Amino acid sequence: MQESLFSFLGENLQLFLTYTGVFNAEPGHFVMIAIGLIFIFLAIKYEFEPMLLIPIGFGILIGNIPFKDAGLQIGIYEQGSVLNILYQGVTSGWYPPLIFLGIGAMTDFSALISNPKLMLIGAAAQFGIFGAYVIALQMGFEPNQAGAIGIIGGADGPTAIFLSSKLAPEMMGAIAISAYSYMALVPIIQPPFMKLLTTPKERLIRMKSPRVVSSTEKIIFPIIGLLLTCFLVPSGLPLLGMLFFGNLLKESGVTRRLAETARGPLIDTITILLGVTVGASTQATQFLNLNSVKIFALGALSFVIATCAGVLFVKFFNIFLRKENKINPLIGNSGVSAVPDSARISQIVGLRYDPTNYLLMHAMGPNVAGVIGSAVAAGILLGFLS
Amino acid sequence: MNRIRKKAGLLLLPALLLVTAVQAQRVTSMRINEVLVINEDNYVDDYGKRSGWIELFNTSAGTVNVGGCFLTDDRNNPKKYPIPKGDVLTRVSPRQHVLFWTDGVASRGTFHLNFVLDPAKENYIAFYDSDGKTLVDEIIVPAAQRPDISYGRKVDGKNEWVELTKVTPSTNNLTLDTNEKIDNFKINDSLGAGMTITAMAVVFLGLLVLYLIFKQVARLAITLGKVRAQKTGEETQASGDISGEVLAAISTALYELNEDVHDIERTVLTIQKVKRNYSPWSSKIYSLRENPRK
Repeated sequence: MQESLFSFLGENLQLFLTYTGVFNAEPGHFVMIAIGLIFIFLAIKYEFEPMLLIPIGFGILIGNIPFKDAGLQIGIYEQGSVLNILYQGVTSGWYPPLIFLGIGAMTDFSALISNPKLMLIGAAAQFGIFGAYVIALQMGFEPNQAGAIGIIGGADGPTAIFLSSKLAPEMMGAIAISAYSYMALVPIIQPPFMKLLTTPKERLIRMKSPRVVSSTEKIIFPIIGLLLTCFLVPSGLPLLGMLFFGNLLKESGVTRRLAETARGPLIDTITILLGVTVGASTQATQFLNLNSVKIFALGALSFVIATCAGVLFVKFFNIFLRKENKINPLIGNSGVSAVPDSARISQIVGLRYDPTNYLLMHAMGPNVAGVIGSAVAAGILLGFLS
Repeated sequence: MNRIRKKAGLLLLPALLLVTAVQAQRVTSMRINEVLVINEDNYVDDYGKRSGWIELFNTSAGTVNVGGCFLTDDRNNPKKYPIPKGDVLTRVSPRQHVLFWTDGVASRGTFHLNFVLDPAKENYIAFYDSDGKTLVDEIIVPAAQRPDISYGRKVDGKNEWVELTKVTPSTNNLTLDTNEKIDNFKINDSLGAGMTITAMAVVFLGLLVLYLIFKQVARLAITLGKVRAQKTGEETQASGDISGEVLAAISTALYELNEDVHDIERTVLTIQKVKRNYSPWSSKIYSLRENPRK
């Protein structure tokens, strides 16, 4: 009797052990957990995009707890599990437009409206997307996969998730992680290329103070912006529609509560869910492969191309501008839509060469134009390759 | 009161038009897609019988309910077979099909029509909207159809009609196992230059037009501002005359004022002990928490 009880307990213990994370762990899980911890460290220690890196980093930890595949409905890829239900906002692509709604409700387009020529810098920086697309094609990726990888160069996490969920869902985890990582690393990636491509004289250019923009102009902007961009590229509608809608909520002046909800609790909620589920989707078994390494390399390259294209475009543009209208090429990097980090980089680098030359407001122009530009570019890729 | 009614009417009218338009647009996306006149050794219905059939296809990206619409083989009688309402199966999913049996026995259910296709002559088939007047789609199936060979669109929803030796009830007439668009890019744009040039041109075009529009808007705004200032007799001062430092100082002052930062606080500093009796109603842990603000 006693012997059978011990044997029963022993068998049970053995069975329990097969369910533990330790028993099911593979080296890949530990690699991913280390990556998650690095994300959390970077966010807390250096404050690199903490709002994103903390949820993503912790999500990586959640997604890489090994478990026995016994239909317990706990994994993010198991249909009906809680994580899987939360992940549907990513796979069906409705988190990114809601993020864009919040971005629209918190973005002030005044800098862009007061100096609309800065929009063209936002367009030029999209070369990063297509430069990466060309290289990805040469590396053997399919056109749809290359398009999804290229969008990392737009430096816009929600857009990258939205497009990759449509064009190459199998790569979405790697693309999202890559996009957010490089957005966080903008302070490291961009400055060397900004210095390399500008002369000391160019870095000292002082730009005219932006004029005061009337509220009518601010109200007209999202309406015309929506009609124009979406009539041109209807496939960008989910992102652009929500971006401009959020902005109208802000600028109309009569929907303050809605605007505050969109840029406050709503965007916070979606950011948490998006970050943690994207992080959790990087299960080592799905994530650790050669393609992910290639995607990371291409992502870095696309950021570099975008930065260089923005800076070089400003230099080219300056040839045609009068002396008093010249643009400081140090704001060229902010054409990538990592708002407001890349604009902040323009400010920091600019202040190093002239402590009284404040470029932040000027850089916000191309920065928000970059948001529009990358959403348009995503719409084009979606239209061509879906 | 009348004003309120007028306002409500003005608001409701576009909404009503919009709803009607959306409904109409959805039913009009249905197409007669494939027809089998002689069924000898082909698809069997739910009664185990073989008869001719008509397949409808939803060309849209939204679900369409064909309940209440009409199918007919008679030009003079558009309402010959009213598709019953209230059957959940009449809801056709996006890019999906629905099949109606031409066995002439409508009592067998929703999908059994009250007419039979005649193999000896050409057959006219039409699909009407729920008003019985709006023709959605029509087709004339040529006479002398062969057994078990259907007459259908070469590609679902497209215009070209052909004889289909491979009969495909409730499935795609042409099965596509590749993505034509992607294949096209692979063959014709292996370097990606075409995509880059096209896409960058579109991005630049979009933002360039936006730039040109807002350049004009800015000019107009400046002119209007000057006119307004002249009218009020005020002297205008360009914002460019104020230095960045002054603007920053004004902004900081306004920010601090709005954020409730005061030189003189309302609270009183005291060394006297203030005793407050504990109650769950005044407990912090039971109170509602404000959203954190930085």
